[in-house]
Amino acid sequence: MTRKTFLLDRRRLLRGAGAALALPLLEGMTPSALAKPEQAKRLVVTYMSYGAYMPNGPSGITDLDKPHHDWSWWPCRDPGPLTFNKSAAPFVPLKDYVSYLQGLDHKGGHRLGGHSSGDVFATGADMADREKTNNISIDQAAAKVHGHKTRYASLVLGTEGGTGSYGHSKTLSHRGPGRPIPALHRPREIFDRMFRPYAGRDLGDVRRELACRRSVLDLVLEQSKDLDKRLGRADQQKMGEYLESIRDAEKRIERVDRWTHEPMPEVDADGVRLDVTAKQPEEYLRCMYDLLFLALQTDLTRYATFMTESEDSVSNEVGNYSNYLFGYSGNTHDISHKRPDVISGKWDHWRATQHAYFLERLRSAKEGDSNMLDNTVVLWGSAHPHQAHNTQNYPIQVAGGGALGFEHGRLHRFVGPDKVPLANLFVSMLRSVGVSAERFADSTGPMTELRRES
Amino acid sequence: MPLSIHANQASLLFAIALGAAAVSAQEESPRAFLKAVAQPFLDAHCVRCHGAEKQKGDITLHDLQAGPAAARDAERWELVLDMLRSGEMPPEEEPQPDGGERQRLVAWVDRELRARVASQAAGDALPTTRRLTNAEYHNTMRDLLGVELQLTDNLPEDPVRPYRANNTADFLLMGLEQIDRYEENARRAMASVIVDPAEPKIHRARQSWAIEEQRYMPDPTAMQRDEIGVFGNRNRTVANGMRIFEWPETGAFRLRIKASAILPEGVTELPLRVMLGHDIVGIGASDLSPAELVGTLRVKNRVDEPEVYELTGRIENFPSKPEHRYRRGGKIDGRLVITPPHFTVTALNVYDDGTLNDRPDPLTMPRAVVEWMEFEAPVFAQWPPAHHARILFESPLRASDPRAYVRAVLERFLARAFRRPVTEAEVARYEQIHQIVADELGLKTLEASMRETLAMALVSPEFLYHVEGRGHPQHELACRLSYFLWRSMPDAELLELARRGELRDPKVIAKQARRLLADGRAQEFVRGFTSNWLSLSKLPAVPINLERFPRFLYTIARGERRGQEIANRPTVRDYMREETFAFVAELIRENESLLRVVDSEFAMLNQRLAVHYGVEGVMGHELRRVSVRPEHHLGGLLTQGAFLVGTSTGTAPHPVYRGVWLREAILGDEVPDPPADVPALEESAGETATAATSLKDLLRIHRTKESCRDCHARLDPWGIPFEEYDATGRFSRRVPPLGGRVQGFDARTHKDLEGYRAYLEELSSVAVDASAKLPNGPEVEGVAELKRYLLEHRGDDIARNLVRRLLSFSLGRRLGLRDRFVVDQLVRDAAKNGYKLQDLIISICQTDAFLGGDPK
Repeated sequence: MTRKTFLLDRRRLLRGAGAALALPLLEGMTPSALAKPEQAKRLVVTYMSYGAYMPNGPSGITDLDKPHHDWSWWPCRDPGPLTFNKSAAPFVPLKDYVSYLQGLDHKGGHRLGGHSSGDVFATGADMADREKTNNISIDQAAAKVHGHKTRYASLVLGTEGGTGSYGHSKTLSHRGPGRPIPALHRPREIFDRMFRPYAGRDLGDVRRELACRRSVLDLVLEQSKDLDKRLGRADQQKMGEYLESIRDAEKRIERVDRWTHEPMPEVDADGVRLDVTAKQPEEYLRCMYDLLFLALQTDLTRYATFMTESEDSVSNEVGNYSNYLFGYSGNTHDISHKRPDVISGKWDHWRATQHAYFLERLRSAKEGDSNMLDNTVVLWGSAHPHQAHNTQNYPIQVAGGGALGFEHGRLHRFVGPDKVPLANLFVSMLRSVGVSAERFADSTGPMTELRRES
Repeated sequence: MPLSIHANQASLLFAIALGAAAVSAQEESPRAFLKAVAQPFLDAHCVRCHGAEKQKGDITLHDLQAGPAAARDAERWELVLDMLRSGEMPPEEEPQPDGGERQRLVAWVDRELRARVASQAAGDALPTTRRLTNAEYHNTMRDLLGVELQLTDNLPEDPVRPYRANNTADFLLMGLEQIDRYEENARRAMASVIVDPAEPKIHRARQSWAIEEQRYMPDPTAMQRDEIGVFGNRNRTVANGMRIFEWPETGAFRLRIKASAILPEGVTELPLRVMLGHDIVGIGASDLSPAELVGTLRVKNRVDEPEVYELTGRIENFPSKPEHRYRRGGKIDGRLVITPPHFTVTALNVYDDGTLNDRPDPLTMPRAVVEWMEFEAPVFAQWPPAHHARILFESPLRASDPRAYVRAVLERFLARAFRRPVTEAEVARYEQIHQIVADELGLKTLEASMRETLAMALVSPEFLYHVEGRGHPQHELACRLSYFLWRSMPDAELLELARRGELRDPKVIAKQARRLLADGRAQEFVRGFTSNWLSLSKLPAVPINLERFPRFLYTIARGERRGQEIANRPTVRDYMREETFAFVAELIRENESLLRVVDSEFAMLNQRLAVHYGVEGVMGHELRRVSVRPEHHLGGLLTQGAFLVGTSTGTAPHPVYRGVWLREAILGDEVPDPPADVPALEESAGETATAATSLKDLLRIHRTKESCRDCHARLDPWGIPFEEYDATGRFSRRVPPLGGRVQGFDARTHKDLEGYRAYLEELSSVAVDASAKLPNGPEVEGVAELKRYLLEHRGDDIARNLVRRLLSFSLGRRLGLRDRFVVDQLVRDAAKNGYKLQDLIISICQTDAFLGGDPK
C-alpha cells in the first residue's frame, strides 16, 4: 500500500490543536475577554441528498454545444459571471454572495457508492479503503481550534436524528475515526438545549453540580480503567469509546462552568414555530434554518453542519417531501433514479428556496459594517451528482464569507487538467476562519480561485 | 432442474468423491493440493471474471497464495466454498466444472477451514463488548427500577442497517452527547423511583356525560352527547374528552371509564383507544398536538349493561407540559395558548371495517357510550411504593448504623444494575461517590443523596455495557439468555441459578429458555429480531398513491392536509406490522417449522386486515390465527403486507426491492449495494425507455447493459413473481393501467359496494406478468410456484439463513469463521427435527458458542 502523506498531515493539525487546548491559556481569562475584540468568523456546511438535476451532459457538466437547461441545478452553462435559470432563481437576490463550483469531489468517496458517499461530504475520508470508520469533519477541525471561544463548540443538525450507521450516515459531523456526532432534529429540543441550558435553575446550584460532577466522573473513569485492563484488544477499543466520552465530558465541565458567569444572550425568536414536525416540509426546514441562524446570531457557536436530508431517508418523513409538496408518486430517492424533468427541477428549486431563505436571513442581519453572511462561509451541496449512483462531480455552492476573503458571483469549472480535490476548498474555508490548515484529507493546497491568500 | 447442490446432498457426494478419487484430499498436503488441484480449478473456472483483468463484485481469486487454513485468505476461501456449494458460481451460462471436481474442492476447503478453526487460539474471539441498544436500555431500566419510563426518546436513535441485527458492537457507538443523555435519563428515573417520605397529595378528576333533553338536540338523529362515533362527533361531547387541571410531577395514575357500545348487527366489539396529553379533537386542537396512548379497550358490552374499564400508566410518560404549545407568531419564550394548563383524556373510536373512506352514515357504524371518566394520581398500594422500598428497604440498620445501611443499599442495587456480584472495592467506590454528592451538593436526606449516587451507577460502563470474560461466566450466561429472549436483564430466578452455578447445564438452559419464551417479555425479542431481520422500517414511510389506492388508508378527506393519514388512529398499515410480529410469534409459540416463513396454512389477522386481504368472516380488533385457503393467496411471510408494501413504490410493486428482500431476508444472500458509476434505469435503457410499459420491461432493457446484467440477472427474477401483489400487498392478477386514476367509492356513481367492485373490475384491464426464470432454477409463474420451488429446493438455505441470524442476534456479535460450523450443526439437527422453530431457539442456547467458551 502506498503511504498517504496527507493523513499524517491531518494528524499533525489535530495534534497541534489538541496541544493548544491543553495549554493553560484559558486560565483566568473570562470568555467575554476572549470574545470581545474578535469578530466572529463562522463556517457552515449544509447537505442535500441524492444529488441534483443536471441534464444535457455526462456527470452533470453541461456540454458546451448544448443549450443550458432551465431546470438544471447549475444556474448557467458557462464558467464566468453567474446568470440564473429557473432552478437557481431563488439565489438571484444573492448573486454577489454565491459561487458555483463544478467538477469537485472527494476521492475518498469515489468507491463508496452514491448513497454512502454522503458520509464523507464534510470529512473527505477514504472510507472505502483506509478510513473505514470515517474521520474528522471540517466543522470539528475548526471547533477543535476555536470552539472554546463560544458557549458551544459546534452545532450539529439533521432532519432524521442520530448518527445513522457507516455508509448510511445521518450526520455530517465527526470528531474523528469512529466518532460520529449525533445530529439534533427536534426543534423544541434544540431550542431548549441551546437557549435554556439551565432550565431555570439557580446558577449557584448549577456550578456546585458541575464541580461535583467532575469529582464523580473521576471516580467513574478510574473504575472503568480497571475494567478496561481485563479485556481483549477489540473489546478494549469498544470500551475506549466510552472512556473517551467521559474524558470529553470532564474536559467540558470547566468550560461550561466558565460560561455560567456569562449572561445567556437575548434571543429574538419571533415566529419560530417549535411545534412543527417533519410532516410539514417547508415549516420544518425553515424552523431548523431559523434555529441555526439564531445560534450563530447570538454567537452561541460559530461552526455548524446541517444535513437537510440523509442518503438513507427512505424510511423517514423527509424522504416523502416530494410527495407532500408536489404529489409526486414516489419518494425523493426515487427522483434521483428516474429524474423526471420538471419534478426534478421543482424539487431542486424548492430546496434552493429554503437555503436561500437561510442565506438571506444571514445577509439581512447587520454586523459591524457589513452583515452576518459576510462573516460566515456556507458550503451547500451533495456528494451525489445527477446520475443515480455516481460519486463524482458534486453539485457545490459556496456562499458568504466576503469579509473572510471569499469572492463570489462566478461559476468555476474544475475539469480535465484544472481538476482539483474538493478538499482544497476545505483548506481555504478553514484558513478563512483562522485555522492554519496546511492540508485536509486529499487536498493539494488552498483554492485560490475563490479566496485569495494574503 | 436446479443445479444447486445443498449441504445434505453435498456430504453425500463428498463421500462418493472420496471413494472415487485415486488420491483422496485427506492424503495430500495442503500446499500440494493448492498447487495441483485448487489453483488450476480457480484458473479454469473463476479468474476470467475474478482475476487481474476483471474484478467482478470486487472479488479476485487469481492471487490466493495460501490455502484456507492460513489467516490471510480464509474469508475468500469461505466465499469460494459458499459459491460452489450453492451452485451460484460459476454462473449457469458458463461452462460448469464436473461434479466430482467441484466436490473435491468443496471437501478440501471445508476440511482446511475446520483445521484452521481447530488450531486457532481461543484468544482471537470476536469482540462482544458493546453498549446496550436503546431497546435493551429501556427494558433494563424498567426491570431494574420497577417503573416503566419513556426515556429512549432522549437518546440518539440507534443506527439501523437493512437486514442486519443492530445489537452488534459496530453499530453501538458512544459519544459525549450520549453520556449527557444517559445522565439526564438517570436523574429523571431516580426522581421517579425514590420518593420522599411524606405521602403525596392525591389528585382526582371526574367528568360525566348524559343524554341531552330532546329539545336541546338540534337534530334528533345526531350523535348523542355521551357517544363517540368513528367520525361525525359534535363538539362539547364526550368525544372531546375529559380535562384534568392538576396532577403530580411523578407517579402512577389510574383512569377509570364506564363505557358500553352500540353495535350494529354482526359487529361484536368496538376498540376504544384512550390517549392522554393535549386536546386532539375539536376546536383549536391540532393532530400534531402531543398525546400518548394509555391503552386500547375492547368494548363488547351493550348499553344496558355498562362496565367500568381501568387503565394505568406513569404520569411522567405523557406530554403534559403546557409550554409544549405556543401561539403562532408569538414570542417563543413561554407564552401559553392553553390557560389554565391542562391534560386531556381522549377516547377515540378506532373501529375500522375498511369503509371509513367511503364516508358511511356514522350512525350505522359502531358507537361507544361513555357515562363517566375518572382520573386519579398518584395511585399506590402502600407508601413508599414497592419500587422505592426495593432500593431503600426497611431495616433497623438505617437508624442504628447509617454507614452500614448505605453499603447494604449500594451492594444490593449495584449487583442488580451490573447483573453480577460486585466487589467490596466497587461498593466502596460508590460509597465515596455518595459521600461526595452528599457533601458537595449539600443533600441532607438519604433519599436525595441516594438518587444522585444511584444515577451515577446508571451511567457507569458496568450498567451501560455488556462486558464478558470478567470472571462471572454464569452471570454472563444469564445475561446472554435474558438479553436474547427478553432484550432485558435477567430476573431473580436466572440470577439465582447463576449464583448457584447451575445455569450451564444444557437441560437447565433449555428449561429456562422455554420459560423466558413463554413470558410476555419474549415479545421484545420477537419484535426486535423481526424488524431487524425483515427490515420493516420502510413500511410506514412508503408514500401511498391515493389516486390509485383511494381506500387503503383512512385519510383526511379535504382541506390543506387532504390525503394525509388521520393522526392517532391505527391504519391497516400499522396492523400489517403487527401481523408480521404475530406470525413470527405464532411460529415460535406453536413450535412450527421455520419453513412456514415461505408458506403456511394460516395467517394472523384482525378484521381490518382480513377485509384488506379479502378473507371473510373475521370480526374484531385482535389479531388471531385464521386458516387460509389457496384462493386467498396468503400464507407465510411472502404474502404479508409488511413486506409487500414496504418494497413497493406506493404506486406499483418494485421487483428489485422485492428481489433484494427475498434474497437477503429469506435466502440469506448478501446483495451488494449498487456500485458507484452505474447509470440510472432510464439512462441505461436509452431511447427505448419511453417504449417500456412496465418496470419489468425497463429492467429487461437495463439487464442488457453488461455492467448492470451481472447483478440484475441474479436479482430481478426473484422479485418478478411478486408482481401479482400490488403496492398495497393485495393479490391482483389484473390491475388498472399505470398512471390511471382510481375513484374512491361514491354512492352516487357506484350505488353500493357491489357496484364499486364492478367498476374496479372494469378498470383493471392490464394483466400482470409474473413469470420469471429463476437464476439456477426453473421458470416460475407467480408466487405460488415460487413458494413451491423455495420449499422443495431451497429449504436448507432458508434454514441456514434463519439460524445464522438467530445465532448472531443471540450472541450480540457478527459471526466468524468458527461459527460457520456451529451453524452447520444446528441446521443439520434442525432438519432432522422438522425445522421446529422453538426447538431451534433452544438448541442455539445450548451451543458452546452461546454457553460460553469457559468450560467452568
